[in-house]
Amino acid sequence: MNSIAVIGDVDTVTGFKLGGVKEGYAVESPEEAETTLRNLIKENFSIIIITEKIGDELREVIEGFTKSSALPMIIEIPDKSGPSERAVDPMRDLIKRVIGVEMVK
Amino acid sequence: MAQEMIEGINPTRMELLKLKEREKLAVKGYSLLKEKRNALIMEFFNILERVKGSRENVEEKLQEAFEDLTAAQVTMGDLAVNKAAMSVKESIEVDIDSRSIMGVVVPVLDTKATQRTVVDRGYGFAETSVKLDEAAKKFEESIALIIELGEIEKTIILLAGEIESTKRRVNALEHIIIPRIENTVKYIEMRLEEMERENFVRLKMIKKSMEME
Repeated sequence: MNSIAVIGDVDTVTGFKLGGVKEGYAVESPEEAETTLRNLIKENFSIIIITEKIGDELREVIEGFTKSSALPMIIEIPDKSGPSERAVDPMRDLIKRVIGVEMVK
Repeated sequence: MAQEMIEGINPTRMELLKLKEREKLAVKGYSLLKEKRNALIMEFFNILERVKGSRENVEEKLQEAFEDLTAAQVTMGDLAVNKAAMSVKESIEVDIDSRSIMGVVVPVLDTKATQRTVVDRGYGFAETSVKLDEAAKKFEESIALIIELGEIEKTIILLAGEIESTKRRVNALEHIIIPRIENTVKYIEMRLEEMERENFVRLKMIKKSMEME
């Protein structure tokens, strides 16, 4: 428990290693990312940082894990190419659904 | 609206009493759930205040960090950067706790990301450039921000789920279950009154026919 892991492209993993996160897993395909993610969750990592690109690929898997319980915490971050322009921001979508009106986030 | 009722209820006094008891319970549950919903939404708005801008902060910080990383890779070469990255010591300690908002367990994180000096990081100086130090520092800062953002987003997701299900239950009680019970109670009362009147008339008739004899 109490550990942080990163899944992402090579540069992201290198960067986070520099920042002091030892558990970095560079993945290349969505399938690889999914197996890694499942393994990490099995190993009880409590915070898992993934890139937005992977997040978009594995949306359903992630939601399956995040909806139900407090941990693990899966955080999506932009990668080297900057924040991706997403058609639907999952956060904003959620807030809109709950409150019923668009909130300026 | 059509007068919806609970199916298969006999119009008896016993059922009437039972139904009235159920109605009382449903109304009580409804007001409690409504309070819960309101409290959750209030909490939700508080959290929304916190999330405002924090994602932008993370994005900005990361952007800078990646720029420095790229610069370091350019000056030192990928391999050297990787080597340096491998030897960096673990920096972040996170205490994970949880608290409960109206029965929703949300995580509370306490990060101890101490500001480290260049020496603490654990890579050598001979082959590394200043940009690498900058990048490392910025990544450290980003990680602290990311963890905070994660905590907030997780809380929002969990709260949102709870609000949705509470809302659904409140609406189900308000619009379906309570009206249905009310209608059934009304139906039974009407049937009982009708039976009473029938009985009354019957008695009158009997009395009349007895008098005739």
